[in-house]
Amino acid sequence: MIRALTTRRTETTPFLLLLPAVVTMLFVVALPLVFSLWTSLTPYKLTKPDTLYDFIGLRNYVRIFGDWDFWVAFLRTIGFLTVALNVEFVLGLGIALLINKITWGQRALRTIMMFPMMFSPILVGFQFKFLFNDNIGVVNNALQSLGLTDQAIPWLVDAKLAMFSITLAEVWMSTSVFAILLLAGLFAMPRDPLEAARVDGCNPWQVFRHITLPFLMPFAYIAMAIRSLDVARAYDLVAVMTDGGPAGRTELLWTLIARVGYDEAKMGQANAMAYVSTILSILFTWYFYRKLVAARRYMGGAE
Amino acid sequence: MKRRTVTSLLLGGALAALAIPAMAQDYGSFPGYTLRVKLIGGAQYEPLYAEIPKWEAATGAKVEIVSSKNHFELDKEIKQDIAAGTLDWCVGSNHTSFAPQYGEIYTDLNGLIAPEVIADFVPLMIQHSTVNGRLVQLPRHSDVSNLFYQKSLYEDAAKKTAFKEKYGYDLAPPETWVQVKDQAMFFSNPPDFYGFQFVGKDEAVTGRFYEMLVANGGAMFDDNWVPTFNSAAGVESLQFFVDLYNAKAVPAGVPNYTWDDTGLGFGSGSIAMDLDWGGWSSYFNDPANSKVAGNVGVIRAPKGSGGKRTGWSGSHSFSITEGCDNKAAAASFLTFLTSYDNQMVEARKGLLPTRAQVWVDAIAEFEAAANTFSAETMKTFQASMSEDAFTPPLIAEWIEVSNVLWPKLQAAIVGDMTAQEALDAAQADAAVIMTDAGYN
Repeated sequence: MIRALTTRRTETTPFLLLLPAVVTMLFVVALPLVFSLWTSLTPYKLTKPDTLYDFIGLRNYVRIFGDWDFWVAFLRTIGFLTVALNVEFVLGLGIALLINKITWGQRALRTIMMFPMMFSPILVGFQFKFLFNDNIGVVNNALQSLGLTDQAIPWLVDAKLAMFSITLAEVWMSTSVFAILLLAGLFAMPRDPLEAARVDGCNPWQVFRHITLPFLMPFAYIAMAIRSLDVARAYDLVAVMTDGGPAGRTELLWTLIARVGYDEAKMGQANAMAYVSTILSILFTWYFYRKLVAARRYMGGAE
Repeated sequence: MKRRTVTSLLLGGALAALAIPAMAQDYGSFPGYTLRVKLIGGAQYEPLYAEIPKWEAATGAKVEIVSSKNHFELDKEIKQDIAAGTLDWCVGSNHTSFAPQYGEIYTDLNGLIAPEVIADFVPLMIQHSTVNGRLVQLPRHSDVSNLFYQKSLYEDAAKKTAFKEKYGYDLAPPETWVQVKDQAMFFSNPPDFYGFQFVGKDEAVTGRFYEMLVANGGAMFDDNWVPTFNSAAGVESLQFFVDLYNAKAVPAGVPNYTWDDTGLGFGSGSIAMDLDWGGWSSYFNDPANSKVAGNVGVIRAPKGSGGKRTGWSGSHSFSITEGCDNKAAAASFLTFLTSYDNQMVEARKGLLPTRAQVWVDAIAEFEAAANTFSAETMKTFQASMSEDAFTPPLIAEWIEVSNVLWPKLQAAIVGDMTAQEALDAAQADAAVIMTDAGYN
């Protein structure tokens, strides 16, 4: 009997040790997810709390999938995500490579490089909104003073220019994340392959393409996985700069969700859209994780 | 021993009598009670809260500011409190445009606040604060828009002759919106100077369209709450904005403008006329901030084709929750925040008061100090507040209707749709909202 007791205790120990983490995950992650899923199946309105208990099945989902505006916002978000991530990667890589070469004052420059990351997205939104104001903004004033144009360019009104302005603000704010992660990768790189390559007579471009870049790709994919989640839920920046307008030209998923959920108090429908957005985020994360594993396998690292 | 006790008691009493602040009004006594409040935050509103210790000293109660956020964040928080049932606070900042959404969470002040106190307020403001016959809020300060303009433009002889030649009537600060359109096109010289500007997104543009609609003789809804803003008057109102945009008489970025953009824009000196809120007047005339200081004129908002002046108005206010456990203390706090003295302080800063006497005395003060700009501005706004001001329909669905309307207004302004198409599309969406809400 004593042996039976001891055996059981050894078997249950891992589970008991995991229990606090599991309970926390349950309350902080699982419960809200389940609650959101439930509300997406109801006509829940914030200002009419009793609508929480009416079950309407998949009506919210049917409504949003049949809504052209939702699809346009969805596709625009994916496009925004793709462009922003790629530009941030290229610029971040360039900055990391340059900083890696610096010998004197590197630490100071690294800190300065991180400044844009430290600003709240709302403040960045306001900053760029005023910079891009067509009448009193700094950008147009500079262009006109330099004689480059005699027009007041409507940065935040024209469909393409508005998305460009928002993308610029987003890239300005978050390139530092890529730069710092890639810089960490460059620091972690072993010197031997580089020296061997130079001895063998490779030019700098070949060294970069065949040695540096493959080594950095796992870091890049980690950064992309993290950033894809942040950019997909971009709200503050866009809400402040254009609020999805004018006429819905810059409507992204989360400006639409926030407006439906809070301004119109239609939480049920907003949660349905949020669930679709969550699935999109999961797909992106899964995609980048697969690329990450493939890159590490290529470099012979652990799975 | 006895003598010392008596002496110390007398001394203590005398000191206490000297220490009690000289409050003209009796705010009651609520010792040991903590009043939980949610107040609106921001540079414009917070100086008033520095006066709260005076009320605390007079009543013995304590005020706990549970949250202090801007308009929109506070609105979201209150909606969350309604949803979660956590209305455990007594006093909340409110606004006439937002009040109807909150259902019955706020109590009727007609029973709580003395009728004599309510009678001190401008009657129209009390009317605006009443939803479904219940006075759900006590107004703190109100706002309405009038037309600010650069005086020098109207004193320029060359411009006067050129204008008379082109348009056939004398150049003077405009009386009607048609004249505003003429003058805006006349003054414009993009990209350096524009004749007019307007806000182009969110509830801001809905409000501007709404007041134009009313001025042109139209209405948002008919008696059965069916939306009627796509009428001829509606198209005329929206076309005003579309025509100005197409003629480049307004900056190209207006579809993205909110109140900050128009305020700063007029202050930068690149705009001839600006329909804007009274709260901006001191900023426009402040040489440290504004390039048009000393050159600003104000006239009452122009008239539409229906003979009525535009007058979209809202009041910032305070409300008391139904679940408040000490409504007398809350009522006393409300009366204090909107007291004569506090409103005078705010009026001197350029905020428009809601107490009738404060209007009279503040104008008298400005005139005595030879501050002609502030005195004239205040008189203009006093006339607007008492005669022209009107609120949007005080229904819970106003914000929802606004949300389906403003993207379509934008679509017409930037040319994606004609005015009629845009208003018809918005009317269809709005009709669904009103039917779903049970109005018809």
